[in-house]
Amino acid sequence: MPAMTWRLFSTVVVSWALIGPALHAQTRNPYEDNPDAILAGMGGYRVRCADCHGTDGRGVRGPDITTVWSTGRSDEGLFNTIRRGVPNTEMPAFAAPRASDRDIWQMLAYLKTLAAPAPTDPPRGNAENGAKLFRTLCAACHKANGTGGRLGPDLSRIGTGRSRDVLLARIRRGSEDFRAGFEPVTVTTADGATVQGVKKNEDLFSVQIMDNRERIQGYEKDKAKAVENGKKSAMPVFGPDRLSDSDLDDLLKYLQTLRGFDPTVKQQ
Amino acid sequence: MMRIFPVLAVCFLLAGVTIAQQAPPALVSIQEVAQGLPADGSRWLTFGGNYSNHRHSPLTQITPANVSRLKPLWTFQTATLGNFETTSLVRDNVLYVTGPQNVAWAIDARTGRQIWRYRRELPQGLTACCGLVNRGFGVLGDRLFMTTLDAHLIALDIKTGSVVWDATLEDYKTGHSSTIAPLVVKDKVIVGAAGGEYGIRAFIDAYDAQTGKRAWRFYTIPGPGEPGNNTWAGESWKTGGASVWVTGAYDPEQNLLMYGIGNPGPDYHSESRKGDNLYSNAIVALDADTGKLKWHYQFTPHDVHDWDATEVPILADLPINGETRKVVMFANRNGFYYTLDRTTGKIIVAKPFVITTWAKEIGADGRPVLIPGHTPDEKGEVTCPDLTGGTNFWQPSFDPSTRTFFVNAREVCMTFISWKPTYTPGERFTGGSGQRVKPSESPAWGALRAIDPATAALKWEFKFLSPSTSGILTTASGLLFSGDSDGNLLALDSRSGKLLWRYQMGAPLHGTSPTTYIIDGRQHLLVPAGTTLTAWAIE
Ligand code: HEC
Ligand code: HEC
Repeated sequence: MPAMTWRLFSTVVVSWALIGPALHAQTRNPYEDNPDAILAGMGGYRVRCADCHGTDGRGVRGPDITTVWSTGRSDEGLFNTIRRGVPNTEMPAFAAPRASDRDIWQMLAYLKTLAAPAPTDPPRGNAENGAKLFRTLCAACHKANGTGGRLGPDLSRIGTGRSRDVLLARIRRGSEDFRAGFEPVTVTTADGATVQGVKKNEDLFSVQIMDNRERIQGYEKDKAKAVENGKKSAMPVFGPDRLSDSDLDDLLKYLQTLRGFDPTVKQQ
Repeated sequence: MMRIFPVLAVCFLLAGVTIAQQAPPALVSIQEVAQGLPADGSRWLTFGGNYSNHRHSPLTQITPANVSRLKPLWTFQTATLGNFETTSLVRDNVLYVTGPQNVAWAIDARTGRQIWRYRRELPQGLTACCGLVNRGFGVLGDRLFMTTLDAHLIALDIKTGSVVWDATLEDYKTGHSSTIAPLVVKDKVIVGAAGGEYGIRAFIDAYDAQTGKRAWRFYTIPGPGEPGNNTWAGESWKTGGASVWVTGAYDPEQNLLMYGIGNPGPDYHSESRKGDNLYSNAIVALDADTGKLKWHYQFTPHDVHDWDATEVPILADLPINGETRKVVMFANRNGFYYTLDRTTGKIIVAKPFVITTWAKEIGADGRPVLIPGHTPDEKGEVTCPDLTGGTNFWQPSFDPSTRTFFVNAREVCMTFISWKPTYTPGERFTGGSGQRVKPSESPAWGALRAIDPATAALKWEFKFLSPSTSGILTTASGLLFSGDSDGNLLALDSRSGKLLWRYQMGAPLHGTSPTTYIIDGRQHLLVPAGTTLTAWAIE
């Protein structure tokens, strides 16, 4: 090999060695298309993620993550989201050493096999009208961007945390898997009064409740006549009689605009 | 003569003083250790109270009639991150307590005030799988023995807390650690290695209490050429885990140690280690002088659900079918309760004590009769009990007067999921995990259960909203002390299971039980919960 070429070659090798690892992390999942890794990733995904994102990745208590690539997220970006979580949301961090780099890459390799085209949410809906509907139908129980009731969960970031399908099902059909801290409960006190609300905490001897008038209060079970867990959510079901299909489209459009609330910004 | 006499006298005086300084009697004799809990309540010197692990006190001052008059005397706070899982020792009105992160204390049992504190400098990035905990001291002479998270065994001076010797079990960088309370038998200190989730090859070790030199080692996975090595396909024995992290029992009559052994690794991946995988998920009976195996019984051959047999074995002599049998009682993580003959390791009784869906029964040959479809894969399969098991390392108790075995049981099912893992030294090596079954489909609950060890029949149960992870103490006055998962300290009538008294501690008793002893003529109850230790007595 002539000297010149050799020098050139070795320079390339050296610079490749220097930038190689960084580049590697930035570009591609090293386990993509590796069948063993994909299987391992499926197992890891089911254990760690499926409760929230669903076995099919379409989202339950978390967003649809089959569309992350088609909406422009990079492997590295996704890796970092999983490693660090999304602070102040339900999306937890998967920290080392419990989750190794390999674990995360393998789960992403599996997720990639579920990758779907960009969301096909119908373009229908008028968010402005949705916001109005929210104020009349929902705000008694839900806060959004700093205003509203407290019986139900704060929905200020529900647009990033739930898919449209999940929101639609929740509003139209209700759910038996109550969000923790919002399970329906009724206490009948010693004098026969009933207190209805959602359960904040419970042990063998007491229960802590936010009642329908947003009073937070503890009750001792041995001093109450009855403490009953409800079967139906404290949130009413909104059938087509209460909410037309086109109003539902508007409401969903509005909910999807809810992508986080910064309390340091002054409200009007 | 006149001149010599005073000189001699001075010599004698000096010699006398020297002798007095050299030999104050050692605080704890081996006879005291072996005796278990004395009727005068003056000491608690081993993990289970006695070598048989009864965790049953002869004390009767606190009774079902007056237990509601218990009042707190003091509370001690660790000021250290992490929770108590310890069984405190007591001798001569002083408590010897190990805490999380290998911090330990001598505490005045009258007032809760610290006498000394020991803290081990631990390396960064420890890999202990399940919390930086410790389960208690062993003691002999003027020495306390403690295992460490970086897999050492140390001896501390009981008067000062300074280190007397420090023995290395194994390199912590390969995933070894130790959390077990040492058991002192004759002149030896018995300990074990944890790290079953990291592909270690675990062992039980005996160290000379005097010098800290290793006397023997029993590998819980047989090496090449040893019987049982062929129960591991290929090289899988090298990374098979089978850790030891819960103190066993000792039978002086047979000079036998009986220890429960942890899960095989990788925990969930069947293909990675075909065979029975001895002595994982077994109880082993070892000669206390040599560490030689006398017998073993494997509860769960080829376990794929992480069902360590690291529960506390309890020894007793029981009348069964008109005969007095020398037994070891064992409520296993796999959902079955066992009474074994402790001279042979053969089954006398074996029945489920919680809902179990993986095995129909334990066959006449001692092997579980498997129900197909319970080997986890990437898609997952639902099995009961879950990976935490029907019970776990939290201590059961045994009342010899009523011959009742008490255990905190769990009713939880899980979707087990598994995939092929790759072994990297010092990294987790489990090949799977579990996913909770939705509460709306299968709620998780628990109960404290009183079991007749002659038949495995349930005598009574006390139900919890969610499973308790508390140990259990019983007393000769008919009391049972335990806790629930919500921080309630509970006193039950041990004959009926009726709730007599409760107190909200603010944190659950986890993997530990109250203990009891007498200070200045008054029976005390000591309760470790979260980061606190609280002493109680009747007003
Ligand atoms: C407890 C529920 C929960 C679990 C468990 C969970 N997630 Fe999430 N995840 C969420 C929520 C909620 C969000 C949306 C956060 C937000 O509001 O931005 C999210 C966001 C994400 C995102 C970002 C989506 C985007 O559009 O940017 C990814 C990627 C993701 N999760 C992957 C995972 C993976 C992989 C796992 C398992 C290793 C996992 N999640 C486990 C609830 C969860
Ligand atoms: C009477 C009070 C009440 C009203 C009115 C109400 N909700 Fe709810 N909502 C709740 C409660 C309580 C929960 C949580 C309990 C549960 O999960 O069932 C909840 C849950 C939800 C959730 C699920 C949140 C999650 O974490 O996934 C969504 C979405 C939601 N509500 C949207 C709405 C919308 C949109 C409206 C108006 C059309 C509305 N709610 C009206 C009480 C209410």
